[in-house]
Amino acid sequence: MALEGLRILDLTRLGFGAQATLICGCLGAEVIRVESTRFPDAIRVMPPFVPEPGERGEAFGVATLANATGAASPNRGGIFYKYNTGGKRSITVNARHPKGLALLKDLVAHSDVVTESFAAGTLDRWGLSYDVMREIRPDIVYVSMCGFGHEGPDTSHVTMGPTAQALTGLTFLVGLPDRPPAGWSFSYLDHVGGYLGAIAILAGLIHRGRTGEGQHVDVSQLEPATALSGALLLDAMLNGRPSRRPGFPTGNRRAHPPCAPSGAYRARGDDKWVVVSCRTEEQWKALRRAVGSPPWSTDPRFATMAGRVEHADDLDAHLEAWTSERDRYEVMALLQDSGVPAGAVQDAADRLERDPQLAARGHYTMLGNAEVDPLPLEGVPFRMSATPPHTGGRLRRGPPCLGEDNESVLGEVLGMSAADVGALEAEGVLS
Amino acid sequence: MSAAALDGIRVLELTDESAEYCGRLLAGLGADVVKLEPPGGAPSRQIGPFLDDEPGPDRSLAFWADNVGKRSVVVADDAAVLELCGTADVLVHTLRPGEAEARGLDFASLQARTPELVVCAVTPFGQDGPWADYLADDLVLMALGGSMAACGYGPGPDGTYDTPPLACHGDQAWRTASTYAAIAALGAIAWRARSGQGQFIDVSAHECSASMTEWHLMTYLCSGAVHRRGPHPTLTAADGRQVAALNPDFLGPHVFAGMLEMLEAEGVAGPLSDPAFADPVHRAGNYREVWRALKRLAEKHDGETLYELGQGAGLPWGVIRSPEEVLADRHLRARGHFVELEHPELGRSVTYPGAPFLAHASPWVARRRPPLLGEHTEEVRDEWSAR
Repeated sequence: MALEGLRILDLTRLGFGAQATLICGCLGAEVIRVESTRFPDAIRVMPPFVPEPGERGEAFGVATLANATGAASPNRGGIFYKYNTGGKRSITVNARHPKGLALLKDLVAHSDVVTESFAAGTLDRWGLSYDVMREIRPDIVYVSMCGFGHEGPDTSHVTMGPTAQALTGLTFLVGLPDRPPAGWSFSYLDHVGGYLGAIAILAGLIHRGRTGEGQHVDVSQLEPATALSGALLLDAMLNGRPSRRPGFPTGNRRAHPPCAPSGAYRARGDDKWVVVSCRTEEQWKALRRAVGSPPWSTDPRFATMAGRVEHADDLDAHLEAWTSERDRYEVMALLQDSGVPAGAVQDAADRLERDPQLAARGHYTMLGNAEVDPLPLEGVPFRMSATPPHTGGRLRRGPPCLGEDNESVLGEVLGMSAADVGALEAEGVLS
Repeated sequence: MSAAALDGIRVLELTDESAEYCGRLLAGLGADVVKLEPPGGAPSRQIGPFLDDEPGPDRSLAFWADNVGKRSVVVADDAAVLELCGTADVLVHTLRPGEAEARGLDFASLQARTPELVVCAVTPFGQDGPWADYLADDLVLMALGGSMAACGYGPGPDGTYDTPPLACHGDQAWRTASTYAAIAALGAIAWRARSGQGQFIDVSAHECSASMTEWHLMTYLCSGAVHRRGPHPTLTAADGRQVAALNPDFLGPHVFAGMLEMLEAEGVAGPLSDPAFADPVHRAGNYREVWRALKRLAEKHDGETLYELGQGAGLPWGVIRSPEEVLADRHLRARGHFVELEHPELGRSVTYPGAPFLAHASPWVARRRPPLLGEHTEEVRDEWSAR
């Protein structure tokens, strides 16, 4: 595997940080999660909960402390399983115990990378600042991932995905003309921030390989997002055309290059939709044939792309009358077979149960652990011919139970005996 | 001066607009990214908006945004592409399954000539599977991947939706695929440094898009429920600006305590000062009162102030900004995030988003503005043939 033989001491939590190390784990790095039994990762103990074998869990809802503490075990929090594939192992260490801190320092000495996603300054207060770490291990690659990063005037600010999405323009860019932004209902930037965290780790390792030099890489959740809006920033600055203007954003209609028909159309069923996107003349002609060349399709107003764009509302109404009588997958197959880009609007259930492409590509891997039956989990969505990634990481296993690897990690990495580990446990160091 | 992480790594980019962001990331890491273009220019040069709204191959702002830091070489035919592949480290392409073979650019042929070459193919659905030959633009990928199903306006009072699922502007599925392509390429570069071996990377944009909906798959697996669309909690400030106002009670009792202190200082806490609200169960059952107090707060302040008040209380609030409004953010400016690049032919400089993170020993670089069509054809031929 691409990162075979590399060890990451992983102190990340929640989604943003854990996304970065799951990628590295899938690429073969040994990822040792350092956790706490006293302050478990929130996504270990909040709903939705992975059900007991053979039953469905309670309905999910707004997570509150009340139902968060209702978790039967720190190993049932469902979101944990999204972000902790890659064969990660879990140890529990009390960093506030002097022996716990000493243990972490010993682990740093045996690691290539240290990752964390605490608030800026947290590790310094533990006595595990970058300066301390590089004294122990001069070439350590230390990647911190926190909302506003470790430098700058607002490092005390806190983010979750939607915070960063609001601040960087991404929330603004989901909406219909002249209505407030609809935004994203999930934390897209937990993923994107994590991808850039993975890039920071990989680039840090490549740099170390070439120069022998370690470093601190300061990843925030904001900067990875500023280039995601493409040309809009330049259009505002150079052409004086701000995004905050009447009629913008334009919903699902592309501004550049303008094309029609293009958008989401109702299909048969309750709130079922299919996307159709004709970006060329050829695709429009194919669409006309596919819908059976009804009279509206030869309306002279629709004869050119410019005409179709100008009369897009009428065109959409005609097309939607056709799609709304048909199943979304049927529309997709019919149009795709005719050479028209189209796709069903799929939710999570559809992706798992109705998407033949994801199934054929082996997108999901069944993985569980001692407490949880195997679930279809995700890793990295690409293949590599010489060093195939695996969702179960180098160990081919599921996300870890809290602290399940105390003995094996401390034994393998630090050469401690079971008796040594037992003694630390008795002293409350491994909590 | 410190070296960038990929200094000296040669990347050839033979892509349409769907994967240009990959090359932008690799260029930022210091790679010498050479964009291969036909004599008429890459198709992305025809995509608007254009500088001063005048079309032209060197005036596409969409092209500029995703091609910062690259060089441009015009290639007359695939023989020229093959020749450059012989001295490159990485080839990123967007050729469809079958197309690469037809042009003699398939991995087997390339590897036979240059065993250490890393080839990264970014396609809508990957190299195989029942949909491999299907067509897709970003909208189709956002639909199939699951983002759209969970983005848009909420239902009306009767529970029915009168507006469609929405995709975010900016080609986010393509950007996610491009980012994963960069990750895979870095993994392959790291592996090659140890093994001397190249390899083929197969990126399916559909799979990438399907991976980015946070907890949705787990919600379904755990409960059988699927997430429907609807905005996050949002406050409207006195100036009409909106603020994403998340109140993550699940992170611990300090979250509400910080909020209450701020609301009391602002004189809008009302019933929340009742000790009963310290109990999270009571709070969850009376969340309407919490939201009412927040609305009273919002009526008193403009959006940027409301954002600062929330953050001052330890809450992950964020004012909703348009992309150009991000430019004024004092924190990003202090981190030197935005960079000015000189466009000498225009006699001006242009501001671009810069480093996605601060890497002190191997800094992110923005070495050149987006290339003019064919600007580096001769230069690259001379430099690369020397290896």
